[in-house]
Amino acid sequence: MEKRAKKLTALVFGIALSLILIGIIIIESNGNFELTIKEVMRDQVLHDLHQVSVFGIKAVNPGLISGFVVTAMILILSLIIRFAVIPKFTIVPGKVQLVLEQAVNTFDNMAKANSEKINGFLGAYIFAAGTYIFLGTLFELFGFQAVTTTGHIVTLSAPLSDINGAIMMGCLSYLVIMSGGVAGNGMKGIVRTLKEYSLPISMSFRLFGALLSGALVTELVYYYRNLSFVLPVLVGVMFTLLHAVIQAYVLAMLTSLFYGEVAEYAPKGHGTEEAA
Amino acid sequence: MSGIPLNIDWQQILLHLFNFVILFAILYFLLYKPVKNFMAKREEYYKAIDKQAQAKLDEAELIKVNYNNKLTEAEEEIRLRKEKVRLDLEKATAKKLRDAEEEAVRIMDKAKRDAQLECQKIINGAQTEISAMVATATEKLALEATASEAFDQFLEATERGSEDE
Repeated sequence: MEKRAKKLTALVFGIALSLILIGIIIIESNGNFELTIKEVMRDQVLHDLHQVSVFGIKAVNPGLISGFVVTAMILILSLIIRFAVIPKFTIVPGKVQLVLEQAVNTFDNMAKANSEKINGFLGAYIFAAGTYIFLGTLFELFGFQAVTTTGHIVTLSAPLSDINGAIMMGCLSYLVIMSGGVAGNGMKGIVRTLKEYSLPISMSFRLFGALLSGALVTELVYYYRNLSFVLPVLVGVMFTLLHAVIQAYVLAMLTSLFYGEVAEYAPKGHGTEEAA
Repeated sequence: MSGIPLNIDWQQILLHLFNFVILFAILYFLLYKPVKNFMAKREEYYKAIDKQAQAKLDEAELIKVNYNNKLTEAEEEIRLRKEKVRLDLEKATAKKLRDAEEEAVRIMDKAKRDAQLECQKIINGAQTEISAMVATATEKLALEATASEAFDQFLEATERGSEDE
């Protein structure tokens, strides 16, 4: 009886899939792509064609709108967690509590491991940055759409696939590292941080490159109808989920590593030796 | 469009920064801090329990040490008492033995003295009796018979007297 039910289910599933495929082939796409693939991909990098207006004040890249939406979503989620979940925390944690505690602990322990003395602010910063990168990258999976200034509809990409967002994150991380240097070693800390002058550029463009590559591949895949089957599953996993985890981890790790390095106490003469 | 490559826009960077600062504040005050506070409270709770357990363990250890000390003291006291009792017993035994020996000596002396007195008394009695017999016999001989007869009778009487003794 069970085998028969399974066979029936498989048959129904197969027929449904075949009908969808036939439908896709039979129904003519309007085929009226206004932009070539080259223009689409160029726009993904430069955002010079499709911009979104913020309350009619200024036209900005869709990535910034994504950032606002992500922040709003995180705000709602945080409020729910703060007032509905956290008050119900128990000594022996449940599943949701365990996930939250693990998330906080991961970044807090990372901060403590890399900067033993000064790590209070660092823990909070890498937690926020990691969460923003992770959820911001996953955001593109939802396929939220926005209307551009030219009246077109675009799918909102990850906030950090926008060069401005990536530069902000890289430079802010660098400033946080510098604040660690000041807290740990005063003026010497600033000098030690300035020695790593390439850090803001490398961190910014690492983030931008990683997330943009995902966005470009996704755009490429969805541009052609023939590539829109099965492949998006792999692409979604490869360029969204993995990037979300890896980039959040990499930025948090790099920030805490350099923070710990510049914040640690430098004995007299150490700086001179380094300079020599 | 500004003249900066890659369409970098400082205003948008600041907008991203503004957005992220808000996000940081939200995450810090609504998630990070409350969760950390809760974990710190739980850590304190477990530390307090651990401290209490340690205090009880220390107390138990102290009780055990006291108990062992008392046990050792009791064993020592028992040993001392046993030793004292043994010594007392030995002393009492020795005294009893000495008393018994003295009593035996005294009994023996008394017995010897009594025996000597009895012997003396018997000898004295026998002598008196012999003297009386001799006097009686002499008197009889002198009064009732001749000298020879009296002599024979005296002899017979003497023999009889000797046999009687």
